[in-house]
Amino acid sequence: MKNHSHFAAALLAAAAGAMAQAPAVLDAAAVLEKSQAAFYYPGADMRARVVMELMTAGGKKRTRVLTMLRKNLPGARRQRYFLYFHEPGDVRRTAFLVWKYPDRDDERWIFIPAVNMTRRIAARDSRSSFVGSDFSYEDVSGRDLAADAHTLLREEKLGEAACYVIQSTPKAPAEFSRKLSWIDKVTFLPLKEEHYDARDQLARVFTADRVETAGSGKAAYPTVLKRTMKNVQSGHRTEVVFETVGYDLGIEADLFTERFLQQPPQKWVR
Amino acid sequence: MRDKAISGLVSFSVDHPRMVIAIILLITLGFASQLPKITTDTDPKHMLPVTSPVRQYNDQVEREFELHADNLVVGIVNERGVVNRETLSHIAELTRQIQRIPGVVVRDVASFTTIDNVTVEDGNLRVSPLLSDVPSSETELENLRKTLRENPLLLNRVISADGRATAIYVPLEPSANGRQIANRIRELLPKSSAGDRYFLAGDPVARDTFGSEMFRQMGLFSPVAGLVMCAALWLMFRSAAVVLANMAVAMIGIIWAGGLFIGLGFPVHIMSSMSPVFLMAIATDSVHIFNEFYFRFGEAANKRQAVLQTMAAVARPVLLSDVTTAAGFASLAAGPIVPVRVFGLLVGFGTLVILLMSFTLVPAILILMREDRIAVAAARQRQAGAALSPRLAGLGAWLMRHTKAVTLAGCLLLVVAGVGLLRVRVNNNMVHWFKPASDIRTADRALNQHLGGTSTGYLVVESPQADAMREPQMLRAIERLQRELEKDPLVGKTFSVVDYVKRINRVLHNDDPAFERVPDSAAEVAQYLFLFSMSAKPGDLNNVVDYPFQKANVWLHLKSWDAGVMRSVIQRAGRHLETDPLPGRATLRPAGIAYFNLVWNDEVLWGMLTSFLAGLALVLLLLVLETRSLRWGLLSFLPLLFTIAVIYGAVGLVGKDFDMPVAVLSTLSLGLAVDFAIHFVGRFQQRHRECSAVEDSLIWTVARPGKGIFRNAILFALGFLVMVFADLTPYITVGVLMAAIMMLSSLASVIYLPVLIKLFQRHLVKEGNP
Repeated sequence: MKNHSHFAAALLAAAAGAMAQAPAVLDAAAVLEKSQAAFYYPGADMRARVVMELMTAGGKKRTRVLTMLRKNLPGARRQRYFLYFHEPGDVRRTAFLVWKYPDRDDERWIFIPAVNMTRRIAARDSRSSFVGSDFSYEDVSGRDLAADAHTLLREEKLGEAACYVIQSTPKAPAEFSRKLSWIDKVTFLPLKEEHYDARDQLARVFTADRVETAGSGKAAYPTVLKRTMKNVQSGHRTEVVFETVGYDLGIEADLFTERFLQQPPQKWVR
Repeated sequence: MRDKAISGLVSFSVDHPRMVIAIILLITLGFASQLPKITTDTDPKHMLPVTSPVRQYNDQVEREFELHADNLVVGIVNERGVVNRETLSHIAELTRQIQRIPGVVVRDVASFTTIDNVTVEDGNLRVSPLLSDVPSSETELENLRKTLRENPLLLNRVISADGRATAIYVPLEPSANGRQIANRIRELLPKSSAGDRYFLAGDPVARDTFGSEMFRQMGLFSPVAGLVMCAALWLMFRSAAVVLANMAVAMIGIIWAGGLFIGLGFPVHIMSSMSPVFLMAIATDSVHIFNEFYFRFGEAANKRQAVLQTMAAVARPVLLSDVTTAAGFASLAAGPIVPVRVFGLLVGFGTLVILLMSFTLVPAILILMREDRIAVAAARQRQAGAALSPRLAGLGAWLMRHTKAVTLAGCLLLVVAGVGLLRVRVNNNMVHWFKPASDIRTADRALNQHLGGTSTGYLVVESPQADAMREPQMLRAIERLQRELEKDPLVGKTFSVVDYVKRINRVLHNDDPAFERVPDSAAEVAQYLFLFSMSAKPGDLNNVVDYPFQKANVWLHLKSWDAGVMRSVIQRAGRHLETDPLPGRATLRPAGIAYFNLVWNDEVLWGMLTSFLAGLALVLLLLVLETRSLRWGLLSFLPLLFTIAVIYGAVGLVGKDFDMPVAVLSTLSLGLAVDFAIHFVGRFQQRHRECSAVEDSLIWTVARPGKGIFRNAILFALGFLVMVFADLTPYITVGVLMAAIMMLSSLASVIYLPVLIKLFQRHLVKEGNP
């Protein structure tokens, strides 16, 4: 009963908002749509050598080096990711496969070399930490835009870049109350995000620290080469640097299958 | 020199009474302006200075393992079992609401709905919260019960062995107020309970409830103690001026001392919250001045003359008794416990202020009193004072006849006290600072009965090499240590990185119990932990190993806040490591609140013992200096020693823990209890000079100054006895023990001093007129 009335209220509020400032509401969703395309989907495929540094508030550091391969499947924004870990040394050859669907739970597999074992992982929560970092799976591969209501708050400059500032509020109760995104008007890349917790206190801040048009393959796209996610409550942060990045390399689709998890072709993961 | 300074001060006050009063009021206003800045501090960690190694190491461990110093525990008990639809939906809703409270570390709240659980289903790993949606069917409920039962990581942490209890763990931000958050949580508890009982426990609730109660009780009992003393003073003197002057002196002492310490930025601890009562009791010393003044007024019939003569006569005993009192309190500053130091210096300073008032404000008030009123009061006083108390005179005569028997009885009492002293158990238990029926004690009992335990200790395994905590050999050694520690019935649960590794191993191998063990290669361990860090909250792993895998943190849930529990755990670990040492020269170091309490406990004992011995020596020295005789000094010292032995013997015999309040009292009583002996000896010597018969002088001293001594003791005891009605046990302890110490030391002075003086009169009195 209670939920129904809440839902009805939300619908009413959304309808009222839509009537009052219809273009702004449409714009916000459209901007985020373009932003996801620019941030998560550029090119037909992508390869990057990624250095990820996990840092505690006290300055201690854990480093992970991995090769990240991505391929977009035709239609419906489906994607596949292949992550191959080089460092730390004792986890070398650990590999991770994600089949991403925009509208339902991801499918994930992990290969554990020490016991030569592949396991499928049924993870329900795409907001859980990505490999122990401050990024969630959702941050890495994109959140379903339909899950949130979006509003264009204002347009402002962030440093030199003119940005849209968009607020996204989850439609169903979630453990976060809202997200503010600063979207570059030219590249449509997110330059900054503020994630607020259920109490509406700032919890995490994403920053795109270095953006360049890059790509060693057939194409080049504006790419966030260095990004940071900081948990402002715990002081923990994660820095991710793309050491090399290439687009439209012609990565075979069958690489993204369980079969290759154990023994990926050297040319892609070296 | 000293006498000159005092008489100068007195005659100035007598000549310019209004000016003196105005100056004192101005200074008082200055100190009073600092009072609103008051802050309290009830964190037991602050009992030791920031620089103490145990505090520094504790902070370091908390940083390295991302631990929260303050945790609340919400216990939920249902006799039908907590895994039922209603209780689970209450838990889910409650957890969600708790995560919205400011001051709660949202990301680390642990309950059924937030703890990530890794399971295996049809060969697939499944990572999800223990409870994401409340199950709708009995089959699903049974599955959840099975999951909970079979996961050793959860047992005794979020589920009791009998399935009847669970808990929500709520870590707090360092700046949060535990009591306020506890109150918010209490408001959130479901109104219709469906058989659920909720309990709120944890160190911060106790601490912050204690802090606010402290304020309340201090605000209630200080005025009540004051009123009781006023009433007693009125009954004894029937003079409004006496009552007024006493209270004015006490208030000024309290305001100056309180203002100074609050102004200097010291927070109020449990100890210093009691200082008003102590200062009021000490201020009753001015009774001696009024007593004497009424006598002198009758003789001199000139007010100015009477005041000056009075002050000249009482200056020495007042000075001596106040200085010994101040010295006794100040000797507390020699100990390591911060709040006790502050308390000692505060009351010591307040006592000196009272002393100053005795030579300034009191004579100024006397000179301003209306002569006709004084005449009436003095007449009454002479009437009352001239007659020797027949009962006390009888007592004196009886004592003179039975010196040997009385001495023997005293010796017997000392032997019994000695037995009690041997049985004194040193222990601190902060939860026991509340009464047994209080919410906090009840919650603590319930949680300790069902789950692992509300007190937490850590044993940190430190290796010289990085990555040591991924070696199977090391993990197995830690595992054996955990099994050994769990043999202690008060250790409710232990867990470490080993438990995570074993869990992942089992889950990866299709939940086969045979794989619930440490794997054989370091690579397996590393990759399991990597998998774990990918599937659970990062904090879960960080709580048990540091970043370079050089240190591992073994958690201990203890079922008692007694300091001794952690001691026996550490001893057990030490014995175990002698036969089964950790590989690679790794060492073990204790930390956590349980260990802190242990260190603090020991520091209290030795610290108090040092200040006690220092205080004893100081008081003896002062006595010898003032009586200008080693023998008389020692004699005046004996009733004090006797009192302390008997009181602490009784503490041991009754089985009351020798905790912080009791320990501090030993030193407090020094300066206060010795006053009676000072008065007795002083008055006896005076009388003996006038009429040389030792026995007659003794009987007179018992009968007349003895009455004053008992009056003073009763006044003291009444003020302290008010605290018996407090809700917090340290106040009750202090109230009862202080009253007992006062009564006993007055009895010891009036009974044993005459007996001892008679027995040793050849050694004491033969020296000539002392």
